[in-house]
This record gives sequence, C-alpha cells and structure tokens, in this order.
Amino acid sequence: MANLSNVSSQVKGRTITQKEKAKKAAKTYNPYGFSGKTNIFMHILLASFSFLCIFPFIYVIIISLTSEQSLAQNGYSIFPQEWSLEAYRYLKTMKDQLLSAFGVTLLVTVLGTLISVSIISLYSYAISRKQFIYRKQFTFIAFFTMLFSGGLVPFFIVVTQFLDLKNTIWALILPLAVNAFYIIIMRTFFQQSVPEAILESARIDGAGEFRIFLQIVVPLAVPGIATIALFSTLAYWNDWFNALLFIDNPNLVPLQSLLMKIENNLDFIKQNSMMSQNSSLLNSIPQDSVKMAIVVIATLPIALSYPFFQKYFVKGLTIGGVKE
Amino acid sequence: MKRLKKFGRNLYSNRIWLLMTLPGLIWFAIFAYLPMFGQVIAFKDFRYDADGFFASVKNSDWVGFENFRFLFSTNDAFIITRNTVLYNLLFIVLGLILAVGVAIILSEITKQKLAKVYQTGMLFPHFLSWVVVSYFVFTFLSMDRGMINGFLEHFGFEAISWYNEASFWPYILVAVSQWKGVGFSSIVYLAAIVGIDRSYYEAAMIDGASKWQQIWHVTIPMIMPIIIILTILNIGNIFSADFGLFYQIPRDSGPLYSVTNVIDTYVYRGLMTMGDIGMSTAAGLYQATVGFVLILIANYIVRKVDEDNALF
Amino acid sequence: MKKLMMFFMVLLGVTGLITGCSNNEESNAQGENSDETVELKWYLIGTPQPDTEKVMEEVNEYTKEKINATIDLNLIDWGDYDERMQVITASAEEYDIAFTSSWANNYSLNARKGAFLELNDLLDEHGKEMKEAINPQFIEGAKIDGSLYAIPTNKELGQQAVLSFNNELVEKHNLDVSDVNSIEDLEPLLEVIKQNEPDVTPIATFDAYLPFDFILQGEMPFAFRLDGNTDEVVNVYEEDVTMDTLKTMHDYYQKGYIRSDAATSTDSWPLEVANWFVRKELYQPYAEKVWSRSAGYEIVAQPLHEPYIFNGSVTGSMQAISATSQNPEKAMEFLNLLNTDPYLRNLLDKGIEGEHYEEVEDGKIKDLPARVEKFNMPSFAIGNQLILKLYEDDPEDKWEAFEEFNDKSIPSPALGFYFDTNPVRTEIAAISNVTSEYAPALLKGAVDPEEYLPKFNDKLYEAGLQKVLDEIQKQYDEWKKQHGE
Repeated sequence: MANLSNVSSQVKGRTITQKEKAKKAAKTYNPYGFSGKTNIFMHILLASFSFLCIFPFIYVIIISLTSEQSLAQNGYSIFPQEWSLEAYRYLKTMKDQLLSAFGVTLLVTVLGTLISVSIISLYSYAISRKQFIYRKQFTFIAFFTMLFSGGLVPFFIVVTQFLDLKNTIWALILPLAVNAFYIIIMRTFFQQSVPEAILESARIDGAGEFRIFLQIVVPLAVPGIATIALFSTLAYWNDWFNALLFIDNPNLVPLQSLLMKIENNLDFIKQNSMMSQNSSLLNSIPQDSVKMAIVVIATLPIALSYPFFQKYFVKGLTIGGVKE
Repeated sequence: MKRLKKFGRNLYSNRIWLLMTLPGLIWFAIFAYLPMFGQVIAFKDFRYDADGFFASVKNSDWVGFENFRFLFSTNDAFIITRNTVLYNLLFIVLGLILAVGVAIILSEITKQKLAKVYQTGMLFPHFLSWVVVSYFVFTFLSMDRGMINGFLEHFGFEAISWYNEASFWPYILVAVSQWKGVGFSSIVYLAAIVGIDRSYYEAAMIDGASKWQQIWHVTIPMIMPIIIILTILNIGNIFSADFGLFYQIPRDSGPLYSVTNVIDTYVYRGLMTMGDIGMSTAAGLYQATVGFVLILIANYIVRKVDEDNALF
Repeated sequence: MKKLMMFFMVLLGVTGLITGCSNNEESNAQGENSDETVELKWYLIGTPQPDTEKVMEEVNEYTKEKINATIDLNLIDWGDYDERMQVITASAEEYDIAFTSSWANNYSLNARKGAFLELNDLLDEHGKEMKEAINPQFIEGAKIDGSLYAIPTNKELGQQAVLSFNNELVEKHNLDVSDVNSIEDLEPLLEVIKQNEPDVTPIATFDAYLPFDFILQGEMPFAFRLDGNTDEVVNVYEEDVTMDTLKTMHDYYQKGYIRSDAATSTDSWPLEVANWFVRKELYQPYAEKVWSRSAGYEIVAQPLHEPYIFNGSVTGSMQAISATSQNPEKAMEFLNLLNTDPYLRNLLDKGIEGEHYEEVEDGKIKDLPARVEKFNMPSFAIGNQLILKLYEDDPEDKWEAFEEFNDKSIPSPALGFYFDTNPVRTEIAAISNVTSEYAPALLKGAVDPEEYLPKFNDKLYEAGLQKVLDEIQKQYDEWKKQHGE
C-alpha cells in the first residue's frame, strides 16, 4: 500500500483538462465502464436483484391495502381477495400524532446527523494524521467502545441522572452522536483520499489546521463524509430504542418508535394468555394492515431521500481537479 | 518528573489535534467509558438497594464466574457457539465478496442513472425490520398457503413443512441475511471506489490493461485498506449474532433450533423467565472479550504484513 | 503501552469529575416538610392516553383535598413496560408506586431482589379500609414468606380455563356443548364441523390444558398436581395425563382440526372473524357477554375445570410501593383511597362524567366517544374492580357474581409458595431453552408426543432438571413447615 501512495503523487502529474472532461461527458460511451455484453449482463443482474429487494416493500404496500377480513381468512397474500383503504383511513384519525412524530424524527435526524458528522469527521481526521503523536491511543479509545459497552442500566443512569436528559430531544440525539465504527471507517477514508503533500503546501502558505480542514480536507473527502452522513441519518431515522427508554411525553415520540410500540404491544398481548380476558385490549391495538401502512409511511420518505446522498458520491469524481 | 514535563510538552504541541478530538473524547467518556463500570454486575448476584445503583452494586455479593456458567453448562452451549461462529464466518466472507462485487459493478456499468436506481432499490431491505421481513418470508414458506408449497403441489411434488426441516435453514438464513445487508454494505465500498483518482485508470488504459485487469490491479488494491479495516472489525463481532435474523425469521420454531440457535437467542430464551441482569451482562462481556481478543490477533497479523493497514 | 495507560488515567479523571459533581447535587434534594403537598410518582402499564393530563387535574384536586398528595401518573405501553421497569428499578430511580404482576414487572422476582417495600405494617396503619375491601385470599396468597410486597387488585380470584364456542355454528349443526368438559369430549363436534364447514378451522390454535399448578411461567416443566399427591413437585412432561392430552391434541392435528402451521403461527384469531369453532380462554363471571359483544355474534363457554386460586391469579394485577419511595405512607394512603373510594376509582378508570361517559338510568353508565379515543384505561390494572360503575348492558348482579365466583374458587396446592430461582439460575436458563424448543409444538399438537416427549425429557434432565426439582421440593418443604397445614 505504501507504494501506491507514491504512485499516487506521481500519477497526479497527469492532468485531465476541463475540456477533455466535458468531451467525455458528452459521449454516451463510457471508456471507464464495462463494454458490450458484459455491461448488458451486469445490468440484468443488478436489475433483477434490486427488484428482489423492492418487492417486499411492494408486498407491504399490498398488505396495507388488504381488508382485515381477508387477512384473517387467508393470511398475507400478494393477491388479496378484498382491497381496502381502511388502514389509511385509520391513520388519518391518528394524523396529529403521526405528524408530530414525523416532525420529531425529522428534527432529530437533521440535527443529529449534523452534530454526528462534525464530531466524527474532526475526531477521525485527527487520528488519520501522522503528526498527531497520540493517534494510536485515540484510535484505541474509540475502538474499545465498539466491543465493550456499559450495559443498559449504567447507560440509563448516565442519561437520566447525570445528564438529566429524560423527555428531551437530546436523549434521542446524543446517545447516537458518536459511533466508533464510523470513526474508523472515516479515518481510513481520510488516510486514502487526503494526501499529505497537499496539506504541506497549505501549511507552508500559513493556513491553520482548522482552515485546512474546512477548505481542503472536507471537499476532498466528500464521498466519505456523505457515507457517514448517510449512515448516521439512517441510524437516527430508524432508532426507536432510545425513545423507548427515555421518552414518556407523547409529543416527543419519533415515528419508528410509534411503529415499534405497536409491534411490541401486539406481541406482548399475544404472548400473555392472562390478557385474553381483556380482549377489548386487542381491539384497541391497530391490526396488521394498519401496521403495514405505518411501515409504508415510516420507510418511504427515508428510502427516497437516498438519491440526495448519491449526488455526493459522484461529486468526489469531479472534485479530483482540485487536488492539483 | 521529567517524563511528566515531556508529556506536558507533547500535549501542548499536539493541542490542535487534541482540540479536534475533544468533542468525541468527551462523548466517549460520558456515554461509553462512564457506564462501563456496570460490567462488574457480571460477577455479582445483583440485588436492588434503595440508595441507588452504586449501593446496589456495592452491596451485592460477589459470585465469581457463576453468572457465566449457563453459557457453558450444557450440550447446547457447543451448538450455539458453533452456529454463531460458522454463520458469522460465512457472513464475513460472503458479505465481503458480494458487497465489493456489487460496488464494483455499480461503478463500472454504463448508464449511471440506472445504476442509481438499482442502488436505491437495493437499500430498501435495510429499512424493513426483521419482523416485517419474517412475514414476508412466511408468505413463501408457510405450510398451507405458502407460495413455494403452492408451486410444488402444482407440479406434483409433495409440500414441505419448511419450519420443521432444519436442513434448509442454513441456506435460507444466509440468503436472507445477504439479501438484507448487501445494498447497505456496498455503500462504503462504492464511496471508496468513487474516491479513487481517475488518472490511475487512464494510466492503466494507456498500458493496455483490460477492464478486468483494471479492476484487479487498480480498484481492488485501492480499496484494500477499507476492506481490511471492515473485516477486522467484523471479526470482533464473530461471537454476536443478529438476534432478529435468528429469532424472527425462523419464527422461533423449535425443530430448527439445531441450526438457528445462536448465543444471542440462547441468552434471550434462557433469561426470559428470570430477567437476570447479572447473567445478561455476563453474556455480553463474554462475547465482547472473545471479540476483543480475536481483533487483537487479526490486527497483529495485519500489522506484520503491512503496518499502514492495521487498526492501531 | 505506557502512553495508553496515561490516557486512560486522564480519561478516568474526567469521568470521576463528572460523577462527583452529580452525586453532590443528588444528596441535596432530600429531606422535606411534612405539611407540604407531596407528589407521588406512579408507573402504570397501558398505552398512554391523550386525555390523561386533563383527568389527572381532577384527580389531583380530589386527592389534594383528601390526603394532601398529588399524583404524577406515567403510563408505559404494554410491550415496553417490562423492560422499562427493569431499567428504572435497577437504576434505583425514585418513584412511589408501580404496577407489578406475575406477567409484567415480575412481582416475586422484584420483591425478592429488594425492589419493593414490605407493606405488612403500612397496610395495617394506613390501609385499614382497603384491607377490608379486598378479599383476604388475595392478600394472603400474595405474601412471600409472610411479607406482602404489593397491594393486589380486587377482581376475580380464581383462574378457570374454559372452552368457548362459536354459537352460530353450534346452533346451525344442532350440536350439544353442555356435556363438553375436556378436550377429549370435543371429538364428535369437531368432526361435524370439519365435514360441513370447509371455511372454518375447527380449533382456533390453543395450548392444551394441563391440570397442574405451574411453579414458573406457562410452559416450564415444574408443577404440583392439582389432585392426588399434591405435595410433590413433578415434571409435567413425565405425567401420564400430559401424554394422554397431547396424544389427543396430535390426533386432532392429524385429522386437520388444527391449522397445520399451528406451532409457528402467530395469528391472533380475532373474535370479529368467525372462522373458528372452539377456542380456549380464561374465564371471569359474564365473560361470554363481553366476548359476544366484541365478536358481534354469540359465544358460549364451557368450563374445563373448577376455578383454582393460583399464585398467578392472585398476583395478576398489583400495585407495589418502591423501596426508593420518599413518601411510603402517603403512597399507601393513596392506594387505600384508590381501592375504597368509588369516585376516585371511577374517575381514573372511566374519565370525567359528561366528557368521557354519561350516566343512564339506575346509576349505570355509557361510554362517550372520547373515552374510547382519548381515555381508554386498562381497567383491571388500576385497582379494586368491584367498586366500578356498571355499563348499561352489564347484568345487575355482575359484582355479586364475582364475589360468588371468588367464594367457590379452590386454593391451589402451592398458593403462596414463591420459588426462589436464584440458587439454580444456570439450570433454569438451560431448561428455558429446551422448553421453548419442544413445548410449543407439543402443546399445540403439532408433533407426536410418543416420539417427542421422551426426547424432550432426556434433554430436560441433561439441562439439570433434577437439580431444580430437588431445590423446589426443598424450598417447598421448608415453606410448608413454616405455614403449617
């Protein structure tokens, strides 16, 4: 690997001019990609696999549109006997709750991702630099937490008693703000995509490390940062456990937690025969089609936000020009 | 004294880096290291004390390794350990090949617009909880109304009681896990590939390298650091299994336990009646310690081969 | 490595600082004036309701006047309650009252581990009225080694499994269910249904009823017999009656009376869908009325046995006072009021009159939409049910019937014996695993007991069954000695 980074600085001499680039973009033929039959085969392969991946979601949508009666009679089916909008009508009665949950999720996700990406990038940039003599120790400090955690109860005490975050959105944001796994991935990205030579010249120009970080390092590492941002967005969006532990206030319950509560309640009541006397309880819990309708509205927005991140994976390519 | 002075000087000269790590360091101190003292519960017969958690921990009796015993005491202990390790090894190898493969294909195919659509599609399973996935799998495998049995009967074969036949399940579990994970795990590799300077490929092409040679000699070596790091980290989790995959997908079916019971499901089922914090902490500590040792070994080997790629 | 050590030292220093500060803060908060109104923190199981705050305002007005205390009610959802309470208890959070039971926030485990306050004296001092209002069997049965750790809810005392039938099908085929007293008796009826009703699954999946007093939860093998030698702890799965019952179940399974994926299916068999003929339920007086009401067609019930008073049924719904409570006397005063004062009890359960419910003739009531949508409280979990207002379609003598039912309930052999699992927890963890591997399929009839019961028992012994049986017997004999006959 060490050899490669040498190669890297040599190859860098070979500049692709802007003009050449524009020309390439204009052509549909991609000299970098697969050609001919291989290309078609790969397209078919990926297309069928991604269909296999989307299919269950279509299936979830179908169930959410199936009537409760046919679900009970025939179970889940891809061709339901009877269609029904009942589930979505039911959700409409929960409109206020859902909207507030959606708001909470959105706020937590956006704020959390910003905080998370900032802390993680700074930390991992520092430990990716050879000048930092404690980089190994700091890597270890981060890595160690991936395996050993404190367990639920001490964690609960820290958040509720030391930090007093119960029933605040910070209880949803802070526990997920840092993740050693992302730090270590990010460190590798910085090592790979930010060559020391560029930084040296900036230092000679008298730029401070923070300025270098913001103006040179961040643009160079956009694909990596976008990856971490995506991971952390998904983590915040999908998180329900912190809400289970720390949120009692119904106005602060996020979307996924609403869904989990329904799942948990159903399981719980089914498992406890003691409760069957109180069959009215089962009736008060949304049935399967409603559950699936919630899966749909909790998943669709985040799944469709992915293209936003994809944009940055490509940007990394064109920014290559800045490297010179 | 002298050493302390040197330490102080070092701190000062690295102040800018220390400042960068400070927010993360504080987070680790509060959210990760501070709660870590709770691990002593693994060695205690935990009782509650009205004066708080610390008093509870202090006043509970030491029981040595008693809380760990249930992880080793029966014949099942061997089965769950074997299952956990073998599945994880398979997931690591297969997961790596598939994720890197998908990432490379995605970066190389023409019509990048379509590639983006595929990629978005592949990410969908990541958003579905295991419970929802288990419903989905059930529609295929259900005895009475399952689609597969429908097909089998249609063509004159006998219906199979999928949830009672252990022999199919290693394949089903591996397939489901890869199906759910590959879209997500290929993102990292794709980001790494995208970050490779295009001029390497130009150079390779001028040298007359074919596409496959380019992949083999440029792409793979360039993303090797990230492959190695992720693999090392995965090795650390070799004793922990994805609970949802092994509990929800086989629907907790007894006849399948010989191939679906893993450490996490065993602990869950074992402690259902008692809810013993000491024992659950012990199980977690056991998994983490083994993982830690394995990572150190893996890291040691990597460091011997190439120091730059080692974790630390 | 040295550098590493140094860093950990610094880290620990930071950690210590943070810990130190917070501890000081906490110790200042204590100590208070007895004349001041105290606020009691109450954790209750159930889905949080939008109108809780509104109702609690009225509740607090009332309790402030009566006992100079206000209530901070926290509802935690059904599926979350157990886990949440475990964390809350272990972290020694200060709260006053919590719902506890045999099936959520486990009563005996928590009591033994010191989570709850011992209530014997407090009850005598501050809960006299309540002590009289609650059937004494509840209080005696809930005592662990002579100490009461939570106030049981006054409700149906015994537990009685019944078979309930879809009456439309019973009448349509001219069947007679009045002679059905066991699962075996069902055979001819099931046959008729199977032959004539292709769209109906005769048996809505249930676990076979086994006549034992189970020591731990449902499927775990340890139990006392209900007849014969009731002083000897046995492995349920080695008993003849188990073999016979499971053979019958498996026979039904093979004949197609039971859904073929019964063992792994999680269908809830909703009552509104009439695709079943018989199911198993737990009974309380006039339950068939409730079931019929929610089903929309008539349901009739036949008992499988006399009502027995089990540990599980006396501890089915209780309120405990936390060991961390700063105001245990006030908490007891509140529980006393809750279980004896019809106004307070109904307010917490039915909501505000005119808003959540309205009165119809002779004191009976009718829910308004707001009660169903915004204040749907878990009635049985709150407290004394026998002082609740009756609904307009409730029978006049509903609560009298409850008392009658309670009087005829038979105490089970090990009523009041709470097994301490701690000495054999390793074995119980292993046995739990073996049990969940075999029991569900066997109890639902999905596998042949002649083949699987012996396998099951072998694995149980391998997992340490004998050691647990011996320990239970030892603890039971000691308990028996202390309590006399």
